[in-house]
Amino acid sequence: MAKTVDPDYDKDGTDGETKVKIIGLGDSAVGKSKLVERFLMDGYKPQQLSTYALTLFNYKTQVNDSKVSVDFWDTAGQERFNNMHPSYYHQAHACILVFDATRKVTYKNLTNWLKELREYRPEIPVFCCCNKIDADPNVTKKVFGFPKKHNMPFYYVSASDGRNVVRMFKDCIKAAVSYKNNSTDFMDEIMRELENYDLESDRKDKDEVFDSGTDSLGNSSEKEENKKSGDDS
Amino acid sequence: MGDEEYEVKKCGVRFNPPAIVITYLVKSTSKLHRRTMPLRNFTANSKVDKAAEELRTNPRHLKYLSRITKAQLERLITIIRDKLDGMSLADSLARNDRMDQIDPEEDLNKVDEETLKRKKAVMDIEFEKHRIKPGDPSFQYDISVDFEQNGEIEAAGWDSDSSEGEF
Repeated sequence: MAKTVDPDYDKDGTDGETKVKIIGLGDSAVGKSKLVERFLMDGYKPQQLSTYALTLFNYKTQVNDSKVSVDFWDTAGQERFNNMHPSYYHQAHACILVFDATRKVTYKNLTNWLKELREYRPEIPVFCCCNKIDADPNVTKKVFGFPKKHNMPFYYVSASDGRNVVRMFKDCIKAAVSYKNNSTDFMDEIMRELENYDLESDRKDKDEVFDSGTDSLGNSSEKEENKKSGDDS
Repeated sequence: MGDEEYEVKKCGVRFNPPAIVITYLVKSTSKLHRRTMPLRNFTANSKVDKAAEELRTNPRHLKYLSRITKAQLERLITIIRDKLDGMSLADSLARNDRMDQIDPEEDLNKVDEETLKRKKAVMDIEFEKHRIKPGDPSFQYDISVDFEQNGEIEAAGWDSDSSEGEF
């Protein structure tokens, strides 16, 4: 099996482009892959990461005149095991939550997906979409409480006839890039503050600070910190 | 041979040796023909989706099978495999009916892989029905549509009876 090295989204690409990672989440058979396929069309060329059950797709574009390289991560069926490998969330800059307009249970399960996502990525922008609107014309008249409650951009989409798919992905890419840029600035600020703090604190704290610096604010390393703090306190 | 030159009338199974059998009409001659497509090395342990894919990608069968949905082909092959597994025909048909049914309340994260694949194949029928793809007259890569909600329809109870926890 071909080995692909895990991409690092904190570094810029060889071409100087900004690298962002966007993940899809939602139940089995809601159409996550079909949405990516509809957006990428001819560019739908999956790369398999050998280490984990997941698929990623690269897309090159421009946001505000700068080059952006987007990796869309798709679950490759991992959702069947009810939670995703932590690497799926690692360094993600935005997430698209998908449910199926024809299956209520997929809407109900959004709560669990969001909860798991927020354990790893408390702050990244999350987009929500109701897919398969082609299968039920009335669904677009319905109001859904979940995205409203969590203040998420919401789209009625169809991977089949294409409505709003490109629009959603483009918005999501912009949000991912802007999150990455801002959080980097923000992280610099935090890091400067923490460097001063470091002088007064012990080595252990310092290691943890640098841990979180490898990712953007509020991330999987926070989890580890939580675990460690159990030992400390 | 163009798609319109023949029409599939019936499809069924032969158990021993296992095969898919279709009856089709050749329009130019108005004659019915039968074609038998054997499932090679098929046993009770064989994977249904793999066997279906083998048939569908076999160039010799392509023109006959292109009109049969993947879901239907998988159904027929599952019936053969159930029989090899010792299941009665009645039980197998009932099981297959359940596999073909999409229940909006059923959590598909929890079904076995074969059932999931089958249900995806059933959903694909709907997907293909409404599909607008490149080359179609109304195809547009980027189609944005806004929908107006006048608050008349709530999410049809999708938000009520909520067991949703706060977080």
